[in-house]
Amino acid sequence: MAVASNSAYAQVTTTDSDTANVGEVVVTALGIKKDKKKLGFAVSEIKGESLVKARETNVLDNMVGKVAGLTIGQSAELLGNSQVVLRGSDIRRGQSVLYVVDGIPINSDAYNLSPDDIDKVTVLMGPAAAALYGYRGQNGAIVITTKKGTKGGVSVDFNSSTMIENGFLTIPKVQDEYGPGDHGNYSFVDGLGGGNNDGDYDVWGPKLNGQLLAQYDSPIDPVTGKPIPTPFVARGKNNLERFLQPGILNTNNFSIASSTDKVDIRFSFSNLNQRGIVPNTGLSSNTFNISNTVRFSDRFRMNATVNYNRQATDNINDVVYGPNSLIYSLVIWQGADWDVMSDDIRGIWQPGKEGVQSIHSEYKRYQNPWFVAYKWLRGHYKNDLYGYTSFDYDITKDLNLMVRTSATTYDVLRTEKMPFSAHPYGREENRGDYREDRRAMFEMNNEFLFNYTKKRGELDIHASLGGNRRDFNYTSSWTTTDYLNVPEVYNFANSANPVRSFNFNSSMAVNSLYALADIGYKYIFVNLGARMDQLSTMPSDNNSFVYPSASLSFLPTELFTKLKSKTLNFWKFRASFAQVKGGLTTPLVSQAGSTLGYGSNYSSPYDGPAYVNAGIYNTPLSYNGKPSANYTNVLPNASLAPFERVDFEFGTEVRMFKNRLSVDATYYVYNDGPGIFSRTVSEATGYTNQVVNGIETQRKGWEVSFKGDVIKARKEGAFAWNSMLNLSRYREFLTAVYGDVNEISANYFVSDNSSNRFLKVGDRIDALYTNGFARDKEGKLINDAGGRPIVLPKGQFQGYTLPDLVIGFYNQFTYKNFTVGLQFDGRIGGLVVNQIQRQTFRGGRHIETVQDNLTDANGNSMANAREADTRGEKTWLGEGVQVASGSIKYDPITGEITNYDELTFKSNETQTYLQDYVSRYYGQFESNIMKKDYMKLRELTITYNIPASLMGKTFKGASISLVGRNLIYFAKGLNDLDLDQFPGMTGYSALQSPTMRRYGVNINLTF
Amino acid sequence: MKKIIFAIAAAVTLVVSMNSCSVDGLDKDPNRPTQVTPDLVLNGICFSINQRPWGGDARTCQYNLCNYNYYGNNEYNWGGASWSFTTLKNVIKMEEEAKRVGNPDVNPYSALGKFFRAYLYYQMTMLTGDLPMSEALKTDNFLPKYDSQKEVFKQVLAWLEEANAEMTELSNQGKMAFNGDIYFNNNLMAWQKLNNTFTLRVLMSLSNKESDADLNVKGKFAAIVSNPAKYPMYNSNSDNMQFVYNSTLNKYPVSPDNYGFDALRYNMSSTNLYALTYLKDPRVFIIAEPSGAKLKAGSGYTDFASFVGADANQDLADMSTRMQVSNGGDFLNGEYSLYNRYRWYRNFVAEPCIQVGYSEMCFNIAEAAHRGWISESASDWYTKGIKASMQFYGINNGPVDVYAFKNGGSPTNSSDYIKNTYNFDEAAYFNQNNVKYAGTGNLGLQQIITQKYLSFFQNSGLEGYFNYRRTGFPTFSANGPGTGNSGKIPLRYQYPTSERTNNQASWKAAVDAQFGGQDDINAVMWILK
Repeated sequence: MAVASNSAYAQVTTTDSDTANVGEVVVTALGIKKDKKKLGFAVSEIKGESLVKARETNVLDNMVGKVAGLTIGQSAELLGNSQVVLRGSDIRRGQSVLYVVDGIPINSDAYNLSPDDIDKVTVLMGPAAAALYGYRGQNGAIVITTKKGTKGGVSVDFNSSTMIENGFLTIPKVQDEYGPGDHGNYSFVDGLGGGNNDGDYDVWGPKLNGQLLAQYDSPIDPVTGKPIPTPFVARGKNNLERFLQPGILNTNNFSIASSTDKVDIRFSFSNLNQRGIVPNTGLSSNTFNISNTVRFSDRFRMNATVNYNRQATDNINDVVYGPNSLIYSLVIWQGADWDVMSDDIRGIWQPGKEGVQSIHSEYKRYQNPWFVAYKWLRGHYKNDLYGYTSFDYDITKDLNLMVRTSATTYDVLRTEKMPFSAHPYGREENRGDYREDRRAMFEMNNEFLFNYTKKRGELDIHASLGGNRRDFNYTSSWTTTDYLNVPEVYNFANSANPVRSFNFNSSMAVNSLYALADIGYKYIFVNLGARMDQLSTMPSDNNSFVYPSASLSFLPTELFTKLKSKTLNFWKFRASFAQVKGGLTTPLVSQAGSTLGYGSNYSSPYDGPAYVNAGIYNTPLSYNGKPSANYTNVLPNASLAPFERVDFEFGTEVRMFKNRLSVDATYYVYNDGPGIFSRTVSEATGYTNQVVNGIETQRKGWEVSFKGDVIKARKEGAFAWNSMLNLSRYREFLTAVYGDVNEISANYFVSDNSSNRFLKVGDRIDALYTNGFARDKEGKLINDAGGRPIVLPKGQFQGYTLPDLVIGFYNQFTYKNFTVGLQFDGRIGGLVVNQIQRQTFRGGRHIETVQDNLTDANGNSMANAREADTRGEKTWLGEGVQVASGSIKYDPITGEITNYDELTFKSNETQTYLQDYVSRYYGQFESNIMKKDYMKLRELTITYNIPASLMGKTFKGASISLVGRNLIYFAKGLNDLDLDQFPGMTGYSALQSPTMRRYGVNINLTF
Repeated sequence: MKKIIFAIAAAVTLVVSMNSCSVDGLDKDPNRPTQVTPDLVLNGICFSINQRPWGGDARTCQYNLCNYNYYGNNEYNWGGASWSFTTLKNVIKMEEEAKRVGNPDVNPYSALGKFFRAYLYYQMTMLTGDLPMSEALKTDNFLPKYDSQKEVFKQVLAWLEEANAEMTELSNQGKMAFNGDIYFNNNLMAWQKLNNTFTLRVLMSLSNKESDADLNVKGKFAAIVSNPAKYPMYNSNSDNMQFVYNSTLNKYPVSPDNYGFDALRYNMSSTNLYALTYLKDPRVFIIAEPSGAKLKAGSGYTDFASFVGADANQDLADMSTRMQVSNGGDFLNGEYSLYNRYRWYRNFVAEPCIQVGYSEMCFNIAEAAHRGWISESASDWYTKGIKASMQFYGINNGPVDVYAFKNGGSPTNSSDYIKNTYNFDEAAYFNQNNVKYAGTGNLGLQQIITQKYLSFFQNSGLEGYFNYRRTGFPTFSANGPGTGNSGKIPLRYQYPTSERTNNQASWKAAVDAQFGGQDDINAVMWILK
């Protein structure tokens, strides 16, 4: 195998030869390879080499910015699921992209795929490309072609990267001048609320001025038994920064491949070890991949591939809002009055109470981060396997039959060991718990496909007829103790109250038949397809359905050869149409049984039955653990029809200046619906919802990709510069709801929006409606009699959440044996509510509360007002007015003020405490809305290919690279939130771990 | 070649034989039942109708107030009510399942079903006014029209009458067996007493309509009170419908679990404590702690003057800073009284939450006598009601233990409480002018309703507010920044927001008919007119 090509992008590299380009082959649905010029729809490709240098834990995250229309919101958490948005199909909306390996669909979150095994990734952008996978492909597909044994004897490849995560891109900015408490009052007694604001506190306490106060570690007076006050100082400045450690990501791959006349074979082993930035967290992932091709005869071939992946970790961090979260304690609700690196805190337990009682500066709500990291453990152990065998037989010269069977399966165990004195939401007794979440998924696809190919002169005919049977089975259980008897024994037999156990099992099957035909003539290519599915999840009267697709590719430069010139080398138009149907499945699954009241809810890949349309009883344990039954509040619907999506896509591709510049542009329209949704009904029916067909939206978007050789190498080894710019954007509008209902709650599409406002037909669905303030006609805040802004009773329109433009900009420079890759990407436009800002303000921790940047109506700064708070003086005079006469009336639908003519206003004259003002003002989402604009220097790789002259006979090739990811983050504001994580319509942030720079070395050797 | 064909044939056969082609039956959820026995449904209904103590209802009734703005405030800026139609659907399902397993038309579940209908429709109409009823709970009518509040009350009273008749019939037949009860241990006769005791509550809520001939409020009230053989009623606290808490699976909402969150953040309200201290009522010692500021100023642990509630209408910023005031190391912080830690936070042993209580029944009969509906002694029933409430708190004539929390102590440690004794002279208490029933004037009514309000502390959901709304007693604190709503205590909840979207024409017709087109929390519903 040759050293990885210098060029990361197949389409970036262009040659002088037209034919070489136009003859480019891409892999499309069902693994059928097609000449790219014949395609009536958009596809994009990423070469495997571009995924193996500046590594990510999940290969998906390496694809960010590389394909116009593919947006990835990278999770900052270990084993976190990145948010994939492909042409607006967003996993957060239940619209998941299908993963396909060598033509077979796999049920995966991509953590089981090693980039070292990837030859190339083809992104089939829309359903037009993926319609042949049925409803599973409606949101597009990421089609992976794995590496195979290659001709030329034995080839051994070794690829190794070590990267360090160090240096914060984003981290909350907090004040370390004031300690915990309320209106300047604090003293410690038991940390449980027995003292003066010493439990479940805010950080609105006294200034850390060295005054004497009883604190958690104050010595106890042996006579009185009371703590002897000690100086109250900022001993815990930058607690979070000091607690975190540099992360390490180490990956190694070894592969050996060979090929003979009869057999191609490749074996690969990939190993990934990650150390998290939170102490005692990490991940190890090992992947074995074996692929074989056997040519039994000229006409009969077999392919077989098995991929096994094992992920294991004894502890991953849980950042979700609550006492389990590091950010919750260290950033939002606790101050700098205690030192996270002090010996007692690092000692985890109170002396003499090992295993039972952790030591901390507060005991009711917050937790010692070392205790959480080393004793409160969340394990993840997953076996993930996919494999297939396919037989190809050429029945005649033109007719071929392929029979293939494939399986994809995983089992996962997630454990939680919660020690005594851990007290997340809802578990207040501090007596520990143990939980196991077990899931097993098995999916099998058996298929056949007849291919007929005929070439008559310039006329090309290709026809396929195939069928597929998909069998799916899922079993899961979730078991938990109800407190423990003996500390640190994590076994169900150790449960204090009866063990609680839940299970959820499901099965489904799909029968499919499909036919497609390609007819091509020189410059025009037509593709027609049809698919019939029988889907077991739908009511039996309505479970079979047929849907068509069609596409067209037209090459004006081939028809009118005069058009071809030195300037215009190639020109293509394309158009396609596809319909997709399906229903009552869900892409992800959560744990069986009820969810806990805290922490993250792990979602694993599923694509199975949702059982939302079922007339069933829920049978929870109610009073004193006795069984009860409640009939569902969702009225089932026996005549439910499958959902529909109809898509149109138009595109053009132009290559100019001896193919030095190519432009590929696509415009698409997706008409979604009627879908299947749970409409709200009058509660007076006894039900809250009914499953119906409804909700239609129209999504319109475009993608443009420019690729060019900015500077072309004049000769071998001379300086060259290739560049690629990807731009995309989309909008989505509500076009129908249900029957004569023409509005739907604003939180239907953007969750966390105000539910009491409604989108109407014709509205953009990404509108942000949050609670907001009452204002006078000039827009000044109206304050209540206490001097705090009045909040309107209904949510207010604040703007839109979708970005205006998604940008990816890649550059590659080569000179002699050096190659430099440089990628910037980011997004412009769209709004998000910054929850980190909101909560750090409310908790009194936001850095602005001790600075002079924000001032009141008198020019009094927050810093001054905050100090006055601690003296019991109300000095903050909020901007705006108060009602002088009249009483405000609100519109019952919009919540806006309706009676300005009855109201008179005066300037606000009521001063209040900064704490109370901030709690009101920043408690509202409206005050925490920020633009999602950001760019990142995503990737920088500097590769030196060691010249053959320097290598001995042993090596066929070798390269060494300095690599970096996420090196610079460009955004306005405090960089307290990484906006990368909120693609698509996400309008509300959550807590996140700080994001880090990652850099290191990659070595690649080929023997 | 033959080998190859054989291989292909084998592969195809294998693939085909591994699968059947059927997809039948896989649309059914294998994890959850479609049929259950009626007792399971009854258990669920019993659990859902439970009105929990503390929480939002206690603030609405001005028993406690929140002084911590992160947790909430004391403003009456109400939105939509919470209805109980989904529970009523389960009532229907319970009746269906009872029939399915072979019960006759009249069976314990059918009788209980009528009571639950009455119980829940009463709750809902008290919150909002007119309700969908004749067209409600049907799966073929998604736009049920609303029936007037008067029709709802007529139907509620009819259901209660039918439930009583069915229970009597079942008793006569000896067919009283059922399961799933969490209130009365499957004793249908106890439910019958509840049914009739609850009927008195419903009738009293119609006091403004006492002369309405259709409803015949007075006549029905008299008929029940005068005929205990036909209408068995409560005889003591032991008949109470109450939700019993325990220390493991059903913990009282005020317990050591939430001590660090709530104990200091929800202080007592003056509406409640003023009435108790004005009446020199020892119940104040049980439920509340003396204010640290008062103790520091020299007031004693058993002085009524030491118990101070906050006015709900004050600015929340002020209330919270007044609760932060330091009173030195010997006394608790703050100016206002808190929930008594000895009773509420010392351990998980908790009082039950009375849903429909004997003391309430006594006050209802007293009020009916006061109003001249019946010829019973208002004074006697009034006194019985007070004594029943005292009994709930374990207060008898003689010494009453009064516990106050030591500053800096641990609430679960019994030695961290200061114990004092108050000598309760019951006769002296009842002889006070403020307590002794003042006769048929307005003061007598005020006494009855105020005592009823005091007995509802931590009990009976929103009844304290409903009675205030009906009579104006006791005076609620309003008209300040703390209570919002332009200085008014609202008179109703809005309809659930989903009605405006999902049942718009019916909702609008109801709002037009009752409130001139505005679904307004300050509008006056029919029973209050």
